[in-house]
Amino acid sequence: MRAACANAVALLAMSSIAAVAAESPPVFRTDVLPVLTRAGCNAGACHGAASGQGGLRLSLFGFDPETDFERLTREFGGRRIDLARPEDSLVLRKASETGLDHEGGRKLRTDSTGYAVLRDWIAAGAPAGAPDLHVTGIVVEPPDLLLENAGESRQLRVTASLSDGSRREVSALALYTSNDDAVAEISKSGGLTLTGRGLTSIMVRYSGQVAAVRVAAPLEGTGMSEGGFPPANWIDEQIRGEFVRLRISPAPLCDDAEFLRRAYLDLAGRLPDEATVRAFLEEPASMEKRLWVIDELLASDAFVDYWTMKLADLLLLNGQVPAAKAWHAWLREQVAGKAPFDRVARELITASGDPARNGPAGFMLLASDPRDLSEHVGRIFLGSQIGCARCHAHPTDRWTQEDYHRFAAFFARISRDGDVIRASERGEVNDPKTGRPLEPRALGGDAVVIPEGSDRRLALASWMTDPVNPFFARTIVNRVWRHLLGRGLVEPVDDLRPTNPATHPALLDALVADFTAHGYDLRRLIRLIVSSRTWQLASHGGSADAAAVKLFARAQRKALPAAVFADAVAQVTGVSDVFAGYPSGTRAVQLISPATPSPALDVLGRCERKRACDSSSNSGGGLAQALHLLNGSTINDKLHSGLVAELPALSNRAIVEAVYLRAFGRFPSADEFDAWNAMLPSDERRAEAVADLLWSALNSREFAANH
Amino acid sequence: MQAAAAEPGKGTVRAKSCILIWLDGGPSHLDMFDLKPEAPSEVRSQFKPIGTAVSGVQICEHLPRTAAVMKDVALIRSLTHELGNHDTGSRFLLTGHRPTPALEYPSLGSLVSHAAGQGGTMPPYVAIPHDGVGGDSSAARSGYLPGAFAAFNTGRDPSRVDGLQLPEGVGFERSAKRQAMLEKMDALSRQVDQDAGTANRDAFYEQAWRLLSSPEAKAAFDLSRESAQTRERYGSGNIGGGCLLARRLVEAGSRFVTVVDPGWDMHSQIFRELPDSRFPGSGKLPALDRAYAALLTDLRERGLLESTLVVLMGEFGRTPKLNAIGGRDHWPRAGSVLLAGGGVRGGQIIGATNGFGEFPVDRPVGPPDLGFSILKLLGVDPSAELMTPSGRPMKIMGEGSFIQELV
Repeated sequence: MRAACANAVALLAMSSIAAVAAESPPVFRTDVLPVLTRAGCNAGACHGAASGQGGLRLSLFGFDPETDFERLTREFGGRRIDLARPEDSLVLRKASETGLDHEGGRKLRTDSTGYAVLRDWIAAGAPAGAPDLHVTGIVVEPPDLLLENAGESRQLRVTASLSDGSRREVSALALYTSNDDAVAEISKSGGLTLTGRGLTSIMVRYSGQVAAVRVAAPLEGTGMSEGGFPPANWIDEQIRGEFVRLRISPAPLCDDAEFLRRAYLDLAGRLPDEATVRAFLEEPASMEKRLWVIDELLASDAFVDYWTMKLADLLLLNGQVPAAKAWHAWLREQVAGKAPFDRVARELITASGDPARNGPAGFMLLASDPRDLSEHVGRIFLGSQIGCARCHAHPTDRWTQEDYHRFAAFFARISRDGDVIRASERGEVNDPKTGRPLEPRALGGDAVVIPEGSDRRLALASWMTDPVNPFFARTIVNRVWRHLLGRGLVEPVDDLRPTNPATHPALLDALVADFTAHGYDLRRLIRLIVSSRTWQLASHGGSADAAAVKLFARAQRKALPAAVFADAVAQVTGVSDVFAGYPSGTRAVQLISPATPSPALDVLGRCERKRACDSSSNSGGGLAQALHLLNGSTINDKLHSGLVAELPALSNRAIVEAVYLRAFGRFPSADEFDAWNAMLPSDERRAEAVADLLWSALNSREFAANH
Repeated sequence: MQAAAAEPGKGTVRAKSCILIWLDGGPSHLDMFDLKPEAPSEVRSQFKPIGTAVSGVQICEHLPRTAAVMKDVALIRSLTHELGNHDTGSRFLLTGHRPTPALEYPSLGSLVSHAAGQGGTMPPYVAIPHDGVGGDSSAARSGYLPGAFAAFNTGRDPSRVDGLQLPEGVGFERSAKRQAMLEKMDALSRQVDQDAGTANRDAFYEQAWRLLSSPEAKAAFDLSRESAQTRERYGSGNIGGGCLLARRLVEAGSRFVTVVDPGWDMHSQIFRELPDSRFPGSGKLPALDRAYAALLTDLRERGLLESTLVVLMGEFGRTPKLNAIGGRDHWPRAGSVLLAGGGVRGGQIIGATNGFGEFPVDRPVGPPDLGFSILKLLGVDPSAELMTPSGRPMKIMGEGSFIQELV
């Protein structure tokens, strides 16, 4: 990809565009179809609808150019075009509402470039163009913009390269979308105007090809002081670069208490206990003691439990008992044994056998249809929502229906005997247009030669886990980054595509390079990130501007995941949960099945592993959750024994400190101590007041978030 | 153009709320609202058709109370689609959109909740007992809208909503003290300022306190405040209690209440299951008949029928041809829907199926038309655009048009 772009730029530099653009008559596939797409003619709400609109049916976003050509030029005896008098063609009169009503309104003004293209095309005899002629790429100039003042504008220039080696300027014909109108707006003809501050990108599409332009506008103010944000490692250097360029003041380094709680929650999914907090806070502040905690956590069983759960959520580890149990046990072994992530993925997508005995084969039970399975693989391992291309060309990525079905063909030859998975000799995914079987092909990859009798999935795994694969490592690196920082370098994490660039592209590249060069080691990646100053910033202070927060100028508060929240309540109160069918002392993060009965986890919104949990908006929990936490069993049933029974005998100081150290991982401030000291009676109401203090802590905003 | 004129405009919207009675599993049109007494025995229902309050309209003999209120009901006999799984069928009906793997659409309830906004005392969208319909699919959930617009689930025992009662040993005074302590704890904490992650949570805590501190709102969930006579009128079962609770909730200000009645997926012994099940009269039909007729009558007596749209439906109809074990399987090509109240013109039949109840021969109505019409009747503009989390603009209803006969 990268190489291809660089090539195209080099070619551009060598010859003048104007010369190339001169002038063969427009042809349907590469000239007319983009005009129709741009005008919205083949959108789902118009002629792109399955049943068409007003008698004319076009393929959605032009995924089927041959049929569209037939319909426009031949259907109803060719009444839609008039070769003799192009301007009188029905298609032009309708689209421009010249003497005719058009239900969709005026889509092409008669003085527009699009109108001219259509007219010239008809005048030239409405040629289809060579059947294999297609646009191979587009280049947008400039690729990166830094603008200072609101209202400032620039014209984007888009050049398309065609498969016959020609190029033409298509700035007036391309489609533009701003990813954030609050930073920059883009006109239909590619005129960009700065509307706010921060960072965004402009998506550019033309004839199935896509590109993006990054736009940056520095914040107001002077930014951070000279020597601010001293880098702890090379991640910080990249992050710092954007702080300087965009005049962002980052938050200060988080304090030791904030660091410890965050490290425990992010790495081990649990809270530090009281003694750990006390000991850590007693030691003098230093980066060394932080690194020591990080290494201790990375080596802990709690880390293995928590990251097994996180991967199980990602993989939708769900299902019947023997298989789910075997799969979970296998996954835990991989995490505990520090298995390289490429090997984990390879074993999952190539697994065969009885899932009850061979854990990873459970992955193949996610779906029986090869297309559904390929969509899971696309989302989980390649960060790509290829599902759009199942029925039509992907509207924001470059995948065609054929790309989609060829990719699905990797999973066509799997036989299922009951639940037992075997590679098979038979099975096809057919081209939906021709009905003929398709040979498998990786996304954006070359055709693969698969020896007769070989499992197609092996070829897919080799492509996927090749260090140069543009999706696989990026996807997991971006997911880990998102888990730790609260926001992916690319968002959403399952929508990596050229038109959705990272906030810090060079940083993502460097992280991916480090990850692939060091054995796809998740612990190394995590250690690298949490050792950075970026991860260790406070969640308050610095630029509060949304644009700054988006660029990691302060730590983002993250809601505790359901299982982590439930375990934290048990840990703080000293009253553990009991899960039917599991040994006592089992924590919620250790549960194998997401169907394990637990009203608390239900109301807290656990990942059910039926569909992706990482990008959905099911956080927040709703009214039922708030009522449950206030009055329901999860908290209230734990206020009769455990900690609550021990505390009343202690001094007020000891009580308040115990609650704060356990729930928040910090000592109470003087104000806080004074407030509760005054509210803790020494008479028979003392026990009740202690319970209410603990109840308040567990319902508080500070407890519910990782900050 | 005439169609547009017949749609309710801004000034003419009568429905403030909707009660959706969802017959989960797929109710048999041929044995309830679209009997075919002339059809051969392998198709024909064993039940007799009876006359209703509307001359010329007949329904099943096991629905006598419903027959008596048909003057309030617009009966659509021509619901049709092609999705024969519980999951996909439910999603099609409850969102108005044909499901795709690419995007989860919001349910009608969530769309109404979204339009109503937050800030009221009563939760705008409530599901009794919960929103897990269609094989626990996401059909009744908030789809691409934020989770804030998902249903408030009353839980398995609607007479004891989780968290609405104070925990044991905590009286009103102590609860108020707890609330004050919690507010103080949040205020003293350094972690006070909000961001996207915590703002949602705070909004729900506020709503919870509003609900808890409003005796009227809490009372709305309390079925024990109804007389024994009224409870008897609705029937004591799941659907009777659910419909009565739904009436109390819309009366108190909820906008969309879904009453989920599971168990309509009758693949065997349908002629025993529907009326009798475990013992004579214990089947689905008598309980539905009692609850549905009581709800319409009660709403009318309270002057609420004009402002409350009542919809009765499930994900699809059932196979015209009986199977080998005396049941009927899934049949999305034909089904019945009943709409009443909320400005709907009652006492009419819309559409018709062929002689075997296989498919519509007149006025086919698709799930998008139904969704479009329900929203429109409730004053939600189906052509307005929403934004998906990935920034894709999405019309509330992409397809579908208003069923003009309804008004």
